[in-house]
Formats: sequence, C-alpha cells, structure tokens
Amino acid sequence: MSSASARTGLSLLSPAFLVMAATLLAPVVALIVMSFWTQSGFEIDRTFTLANYARLVEPGEGTVWYGIRFPLAYPVPAVLMVKSLAMSLVATICVIGVAWPMAYFLAFRVTRYKAMWMILLTIPFWTSYLLRVFSWKIVLGFNGAINSGLQWLGLIKEPLEFLLYNPLAVMITLAHSWIAFSVLPIYVSLEKIDRTLLEAASDLGDSRWKRFRRITLPLSMPGTIAATLLVFIPTVGDYVTPTLVGGPGGTMIGSLVQQLFLRQDNAPLGAAISIVMMLIIAALVGLFLWLIGYRRIRRRIG
Amino acid sequence: MQRVKFIDRMAQGKLSRRDMLQSAGAFGVGLIALPRLARAQGGPLTCLEWGGYDAEEYVGAYVSKHGALPDFSIFSGEEEALAKVRAGFAADVMHPCNYSVSRFVNAGLVTEIDTSKLSNWADVFPALQTAEGVVQDGKVVMAPADWGNSSIAYRSDLIDPAFVADPTWAIFYDEAYAGKVSMLDNEVAFQIGAMVGGMPYDEAYKLSGAALEEAAKTWGAKAVNVSRFLWNDPSEVQQAMASGEIVAAYAWNDLVKNLKAEGIPVEYAKPKEGMFTWFCGLTMLNSGKADPALAYDFIDAWLSPETGKYLIESSGYGHANMKSFEVADPAEVAAMGITDPEAMMGSSILFRTPTDEVQVEHNRVWGDIKALKM
Repeated sequence: MSSASARTGLSLLSPAFLVMAATLLAPVVALIVMSFWTQSGFEIDRTFTLANYARLVEPGEGTVWYGIRFPLAYPVPAVLMVKSLAMSLVATICVIGVAWPMAYFLAFRVTRYKAMWMILLTIPFWTSYLLRVFSWKIVLGFNGAINSGLQWLGLIKEPLEFLLYNPLAVMITLAHSWIAFSVLPIYVSLEKIDRTLLEAASDLGDSRWKRFRRITLPLSMPGTIAATLLVFIPTVGDYVTPTLVGGPGGTMIGSLVQQLFLRQDNAPLGAAISIVMMLIIAALVGLFLWLIGYRRIRRRIG
Repeated sequence: MQRVKFIDRMAQGKLSRRDMLQSAGAFGVGLIALPRLARAQGGPLTCLEWGGYDAEEYVGAYVSKHGALPDFSIFSGEEEALAKVRAGFAADVMHPCNYSVSRFVNAGLVTEIDTSKLSNWADVFPALQTAEGVVQDGKVVMAPADWGNSSIAYRSDLIDPAFVADPTWAIFYDEAYAGKVSMLDNEVAFQIGAMVGGMPYDEAYKLSGAALEEAAKTWGAKAVNVSRFLWNDPSEVQQAMASGEIVAAYAWNDLVKNLKAEGIPVEYAKPKEGMFTWFCGLTMLNSGKADPALAYDFIDAWLSPETGKYLIESSGYGHANMKSFEVADPAEVAAMGITDPEAMMGSSILFRTPTDEVQVEHNRVWGDIKALKM
C-alpha cells in the first residue's frame, strides 16, 4: 500500500477510532484500574491489590446449584456467570433457529418489494428496547395476552403462572429483542451467494438437500457466525430484561454487577467481575471460532 | 433577503441572545440551548422523590410561586438514591426516612436545615421535630413530612380465612402461599422472617456476622422462593393485587386506599408480630446546583396543611403538620384510626437505623440470597 493511501485510510479510520477510544477504551481502562482497588463503606482505598480477583476464586464451603457444586467461599458470581452463559446460549440458539429461515426466505424467495420486507422486519425496532421488554411483561403476565387468550378458548381455567418471572421469560424476551439483529447479517451472506453455483450443483446431480448442505449452508457461515456473536455477547451481560421479567430466579450476571455498584458499596468487586466476564466471553468466542474452523471458512470463501 | 440580513447582523455582533435563540429554535437547536440558559440563572431545583410523590398536589405552594414543578428523579429505595447521588447526580432535595437519613448524613451529603426559613415548621408535631433521625448532632437534617405504616395488605375475598382470624407475617415464608404473595425487594424480608422466628425487631434490624448469614439462609431464601415477585414499584404490586395474581403483599397504607377506591376488597392486616411505622421527610443535599431558597420553598410546600390534606385524603398517610388533620375531610381522618404520630409509634414498631456497616452487610446478604434463587 502506498503511503498516500495509507494516510487516507488512517484519516478515514481516525474519527471512529477516536470515538471508540473515548467511549470504549477509556471506560474499560478505568474499570481495570478500579478492579485493583478496594472499597469499605463510602471510602475507596486506592492501594493496588488482587483481593477482588482472589475473592472470586477463593475456595470454601460453597453451594450446590442445579446439581453443580461450586466449592467457593463466594459462589454467587460463579453461579450467575454459568447461569447467564447458559441462558444466553439458549436464547442465541433460538434466535439463529428463527432468524435463519427468515433470512433464507428473504434472500431466495422474495423477488419483489425486497425493501418493504426489510422495513417490515425492522418495525419492532421502531419502539425502544425498554418498551419491547415491557410489552413481553404484558404478553406473559398473569392476565396478559397469552393467559386471557387461553382462558377465552377454554383451554385453561386458572392463569398459567410459569410464564413470567423466571429464566424462561428472560430467554423469550432476549430472543425476541435480538432477532432482527441476526436476520440482517445472515441475509447479506445468503444474498451474496452466486446463484450459478447452485445451478452447477443441480446440474452435476446434487439433490436439493445435498445442494443446501454443501453450498448454501457453508457459504452462509460468515453471516451466521456474525449473527451468533452479535446476539450471544451482548445478551450475557444484559440486565434490563432480567430486572423487568426475570424475578429473583431470572437474575443474571449484569444484575449482580449493578447490585455491587449501586447497592452493596463495592464498585471494585463489580469492576473485577466485569473484567472476568469480558475475559470469559472472549475466551468462549475464541474457542467457538476455533471449533468451527473459522480460519478455514474464511480462506475458502476468500 | 431575510437570511442575508440575519447573517450580516450576526457578523456585526448586533444580534441579541434572544434573537439568536429564536432563530436557532426554528432549527430545533433551541431545544438544546434553552436548558443551558436556565442553568445560567442558578439552576432548576432537582428532587429525588418516591414514585407517586412527583405530583403537583404535594407541592402546590411551590408550583403557584414558581410556576412549574421542579425536576424529579424517581427512586425505589433509599440505597439506590444514595448510590446515584454519590455517583455524581446533582440533586438538591431528597426524600429519605427516619431509618435511612443517617446514611446520607454519614456520606457527607446533607446540609443542615434552618427551620426558621420554614413557615410551617411551628405546626409540625413536636414529637416529630425532635425524633431520632430528624435531629443529628443537634442539627435538623430532615424536615419530617409524611408518616405511615408497613404491614400486610390482603384480598379479603381470596385469602384463607385462617389468616384473617390470626394475621401473621409468616405467610411470606409459608410454602402454602408460594406464588401468591409479594414481599418488598428489601432486606426487611429476612428481618421480618427473624421476627416470625421469635426474634424481637430490635435485634433483627442489626443482625450481623454468622447470625445474619443464618437468618438470611433460613428466612431470606424462603421469602425469595415464596414470593411471586419481589416488588420495587408500588404500581406493579398494586396491579398484581387488583388482578388477583397475588393475594397478600407487604404494603404501605396507600395501596389499600387506592385499591378500595377501585372497589377491590382489600384489607390492611395487623399482624401478631406487629405492624411497622415509618416517617419520612425532606433533606437538603449539598450536591445540588439550585438556589437553596428554592429548596426551602419546596420543603415548606410539602409541610403545608394543604399538602397534608391531600396526602391524608388520597393516600391514607399521616402528615407532619398538625393543622392538616383539621382541614382534611373528617371521615377520612376518622378512617385513619390513629392520627397522632407519637401514639402510632407507641402502638407499633418504628423502623430503626442500623449502622453503616450493618446496612451494607444486609444489602450484600440480601443481594446474594436473591441471586442464588433457582
């Protein structure tokens, strides 16, 4: 690359970089620094210590949660971490399961008014995130849409109580909130697939299913992977949804961080948990990409 | 033509700020610039309030003098509000209670109230003027405003008659009521549990160490598991009660009052372990940016008999001003039963202030118990 085009590239990049530095890098650095401090009462002690991290792994009597033993002196963060990862994973699988067929339909079946379909897809996003979460509270509620509907049909006598204030409600809400985010990347990679490849496969004797498995699915992987990460990473730390529809049983790790910062006067421990959470998610994402052979896929698609 | 003239005048510095703002307003820029203008004149009054108290009726005198309500920020618990102020939120006035005001004092956020600047101070119940929490180190740190109870509200048509015959806090820890009751999302949940277990409140509110862990494991976990949800928002529990989703809840007087007004059969229990009394008031914070005179006007409005009349008639709470009970509807006053806060405190349990260390420990234990619910 010539130096002129490198300069152009850098100058094009710099606004985004500056914004990122100010809004992402600086807070993360602050968080890292804070995680090495301690707090007692209203006072923050600024001497460097690893006490917060030690507290997270300190062995102890522990607790048993759904048959899993957590032999830690302070098992709450570990339990919530596992729980949040599991809940996000389920929500992500549901999202991809629903979004993929939608994207496929959009890319291969819709030929006219594509723009209109795209707009239809984004309609739920015209309202705020908070409103969408709250509307689920109404849908799933005791005398909400589902319960009153089923009662009207005479299928149930008493309203179903397991719909709201539990992990299930959190997963349903998360899945719904993030579907449109995952349809678009999948759609883009499906749309990019060269249709002649499909014709060639058919001409050479592939059945429809085989053609799908050998061409459509692998070529859609970049979008599908992007969508998976796009949903999984933010949902692990979400705290608005668990607060509104989760009840105490639907608490996630984000709720604990919020608690530590705002209720328990222990911001440094909250910071340490956030950092550990970031590292765990990064490690999991790395593992995921390695498992599916992301490098190989990229090389093949080019 | 118009536009050229405008630019010329602007370049020559002949435009007044008003002209500039008017023109900017045409482009929507005024929306951003106007609040800054107000701040330059001393800043608007910002009040941390409980949900529901952010209404004109509670500060009528302030609104008629200054033309508008102050800015409100709503909180659902004092600890949340405290954290917000400590994180840099510039509030002028806060509405803590007798048991929580010392947290703000200890955090170094409170300024002394000069009661001579409050025209209604002389009519405040003498017992409240000198109560624990109001005066600290000889300084008035909270102007008492409202007082009431915390007890169990129940649907008399849906609840087990055995409860009505012998009301007890034990229903919040009883598997038989699982999914049918709602406790407040607060550490009182295991304090009351300990009382059900036989411990007097005077010990339960300051539990610490191993005894606290024990109480939390036994009673806190039960409260979390039995409650349909732990409530933070009064309207949420009110709706759940109205629909029959829950049959009993930890509640303040206003819930019973509001639901009765809607024609829903709700009663307020007198549990055998005792019902609670609290009184709350207004505290001036040193984090604010507004002229303190505005804060005094706001507090004085809260203490006025007109506010007291509305408070009594609309929510069933008591008011700090003795005259409020003279101007309020006599039927409503009679329905309250006890109208003297001193007598009320004598016949029920007054919430107490734990030390900061104990408060933080209770916050932590309560947070952990909730997090480990399956």
